[in-house]
Amino acid sequence: MKRCSHACGSAEHLTSRRQFLGTVAAGVGAASGLGTFVRPLVADELTRQERQVLVVWLAGGASQLETWDPKPGTDTGGPFRSIETSVPGTRISELMPLTAKQMHRIALVRGLNTKENDHGKGHYMMHTGRPQMPGVVYPHLGSIAAKYVTPETSPLPGYIHITPGGGGLSSADAAFLGPKYGALHLGNGQPPANTVRPASLNDLGASAREAVFQHANDRFAKRRRTAETEAYTSTFEQAKQLMARREVFDVTKEPERDFDRYGRHDFGRHCLLARRLLDAGVTFVQVTHSNYDTHNENFDFHLEQVGEFDQGFATLLEDLGASGRLQHTLVIVMSEFGRTPKINPWYGRDHWGNAWSIALAGVGITAGNVVGKTNANGTAVVDREVGAGHLFHTYMKALGLDTKESVDVNGQDFFLADPSATHIPELLA
Amino acid sequence: MARSIVALAIMLFPQYTRADLPLHERIDRAIESALEGPPAAPASDAEFLRRAYLDLAGMVPTSTEARVFLDDPSPYKRERLIDTLLSGPRFARRMRDVFDVAWMERLPDKYVPSAAWRAFLLRAFQENRPYDQIVREVLSADGTDPATRPAAKFLLDREADANNLTRDMGRMFLGRDMQCAQCHDHPLIDDYKQAHYYGLFAFVSRTTLYDQPGAGKVLAEKGEGDVTFTSVFKKKITNATGPRLLDGPAIAEPAIAKGQEYFVGPKEKARTVPAFSRRAQLPNALLTTDVSAFDRAIANRLWSVLMGRGLVHPLELDHSGNPPSHPELLDDLTRSIKAMKYDMRAFLREVALTRAYQRSSEPRPEASDSQMEPSRYAVAPLRKLSPEQLGWSVMQALGFVEASRRGAEDRYLTRDPKMRDILETTVGKRQRAELLEAAVEDQLAGNLGPFIQRFAAAPGQPQDAGDPTVHQALFLANGEPIQSWLNPSGVNLTARLNALTDPGAIGEELYLSILSRRPAEEERAEVAQHLKDRDKDKGPAIKELAWALLSSAEFRFNH
Repeated sequence: MKRCSHACGSAEHLTSRRQFLGTVAAGVGAASGLGTFVRPLVADELTRQERQVLVVWLAGGASQLETWDPKPGTDTGGPFRSIETSVPGTRISELMPLTAKQMHRIALVRGLNTKENDHGKGHYMMHTGRPQMPGVVYPHLGSIAAKYVTPETSPLPGYIHITPGGGGLSSADAAFLGPKYGALHLGNGQPPANTVRPASLNDLGASAREAVFQHANDRFAKRRRTAETEAYTSTFEQAKQLMARREVFDVTKEPERDFDRYGRHDFGRHCLLARRLLDAGVTFVQVTHSNYDTHNENFDFHLEQVGEFDQGFATLLEDLGASGRLQHTLVIVMSEFGRTPKINPWYGRDHWGNAWSIALAGVGITAGNVVGKTNANGTAVVDREVGAGHLFHTYMKALGLDTKESVDVNGQDFFLADPSATHIPELLA
Repeated sequence: MARSIVALAIMLFPQYTRADLPLHERIDRAIESALEGPPAAPASDAEFLRRAYLDLAGMVPTSTEARVFLDDPSPYKRERLIDTLLSGPRFARRMRDVFDVAWMERLPDKYVPSAAWRAFLLRAFQENRPYDQIVREVLSADGTDPATRPAAKFLLDREADANNLTRDMGRMFLGRDMQCAQCHDHPLIDDYKQAHYYGLFAFVSRTTLYDQPGAGKVLAEKGEGDVTFTSVFKKKITNATGPRLLDGPAIAEPAIAKGQEYFVGPKEKARTVPAFSRRAQLPNALLTTDVSAFDRAIANRLWSVLMGRGLVHPLELDHSGNPPSHPELLDDLTRSIKAMKYDMRAFLREVALTRAYQRSSEPRPEASDSQMEPSRYAVAPLRKLSPEQLGWSVMQALGFVEASRRGAEDRYLTRDPKMRDILETTVGKRQRAELLEAAVEDQLAGNLGPFIQRFAAAPGQPQDAGDPTVHQALFLANGEPIQSWLNPSGVNLTARLNALTDPGAIGEELYLSILSRRPAEEERAEVAQHLKDRDKDKGPAIKELAWALLSSAEFRFNH
């Protein structure tokens, strides 16, 4: 049976989303009339807390040795020491003293072998859980979350990416899920484009033009049966709601002292904005911290970069923990790859996908856990080796998504998660 | 009932159902004989006008063009409009956009700039070059000759990657997405064999990229290297194949002695040229052997350009498990496109002449959902305007296309006597129109950027799918350049409307400019009321009305 693949925001799609999430009572079929299923859905909406995701993307490839898997005193270890954390027996780099205090909320994956040393391919792999292949592109986790977790009725975009660079909508991340589920980039934390009414339009004009618009649409739709016109006109309603909530994107509304706590640098400000967006109910927030591509002077760079990361990230994690939001928010800290244990002649470390680490926290994750192990000087994984596909399955499980879900694209089924991989049971609570 | 009458007619008068009838009539008989009930009414003149302009000229008509057509009492005006549009300067541009998106899928430029490639396509459609010839040019160019390099974009920008090319050539030229047959026979589609995949693969597996000093990347080809493949389900059996198109004959290859494989060998530090080029066999294999998949694919694609969906749908899944909605019709179209010597303009003309194309998008109130099922072609579908159609239509509706055309006319005809001389004496009417259109495009095409950015699907993804987004709505509601375009200037729409005093005249010009039709009584009254309510603010009120119609669903869709 082919799935319905056309564009519409009809109630039928709401049901299939809910069925997919496993929250609709059995026996409610898509064929039933509106009245029979809308009510239970609304009730369900109110009682169930939507899951959320925070991804901190350390662009360029952060060094696992200067973060989650330090090897002090070895030929590869570099100048920094390791420190104790709030989890007895787990030590991380001394560059992260604040994160060390949050370690009881974090699980580490130290046996990651992605076998990928290319920035673009590593980026793709870590976001989609698959190696890049010519001819077919899979959606990023953020787009999947936007489609399958964000309620259709949400006035806010499901997938927001706070970047140091430019803003705008990137439909590429959504691949075959469609541009609606693309990433909204908030360039340097600025609000999205076109969310302010034109200066020349006053209240009277705005409501006047809307009334004519509405009448025109009603007349057109009356004589035609299609969900497409409704899907189209409903985006204008969504736009209005988004404009009304524009303050959600304005980090300056946060208390002054929080700017000190998060750090008075771009990353600190972006982490604070991430908290604000998560508090407002945005499903998936990614914050990019740039740039860790330290082929030269790896240690100076990490000293500075990881310092910023530590303050912003640890404060955010602490706040999410304190507010209870962490109970339904999945947190992922990752890069496109790690860095070579071998220190090159320029005191740099190069690209390295063979033995590196990421950190997880929040919903579904066994906090305080460490899965996988590298050898004494970090040149190989010696225990519980995993790849990007395993991680991707684990994220989907943690979010309560069906890892066997597939999407009909022009008549062919595509699995969201690579069927050749499975989740990592030890990581899941 | 209708079906049985037609069946009877076919039995009694088979000659009338075949070649004696024009193609458009054969199409209608095939469609109508499969209907379950009466189809939607014929499209009104205004519906037809807008649809034909969007499909064949890529944008809505001006209010003047709309008036002229609507007021023309001739019973032949639809046919005449189709012919005017097909021979007009915008048809080639519309087709360039359709084929650019179909073949390059908005992928970012790699080695051949999009502008050069699009210029190649434009030229091809301006000359009404036959489809088979265009495909031959696309698959034959190797990038070394500057004159044909633009056509090499298809191969070069896919990095000459054999898997990538196999997938895309299968999808685009044969209507078969055989990607899933790369590692084994297709698991769900019996017709797609791994041997088909590798038969096509073998034409390009020896092709590589070569960095030619001064020319950039060009195609090279090795003189050796055979294709073997193993199914992941039967790992012990290794199969070998030479170039072969689907179930056609294996391509004959000359026996080449060892050591004689190259004209220019790999040791010469130059672009390798094999003694026998497998890639060079590809166009012939597609075009001269009897591979109806090639003809079916283009017949089906051209059909979908006007009808909104393929007879085989999706276009890239032609196989026995996904049969065409009208199998005999597709066979007829397949034979016809070949018999028409791949004349795409002539083919589209036949489709545009059909009653099926010229139906209303309003279903009969009593029609059941199954009668109105899209694959029956009982009612015209709603199709979202492509980003290019939308951008151009906004500019046309708001008066900027016409202003630009007049500006060019003024530059060429009034201010430059030499140019006027050439235009009026040496070149024909068509070339003059072409010249003006090129000037319009030069001036305005840059404005399409924001439309493509927001309304196109991601590169490489199906371009006609995708839900509307809130960012599109925000762009239309608040964004530039539309808000500026709504300000009166020169002869644009709002300036023209501001100059009118009679509300009836304002309403008529507004509706004709934006929706290509005259307002209904209720709509006239609404415009008049709106202007009356805001009598102190006529300027803003006119902008509001224009915005509302421009953002309405009626404008957003081709219906």
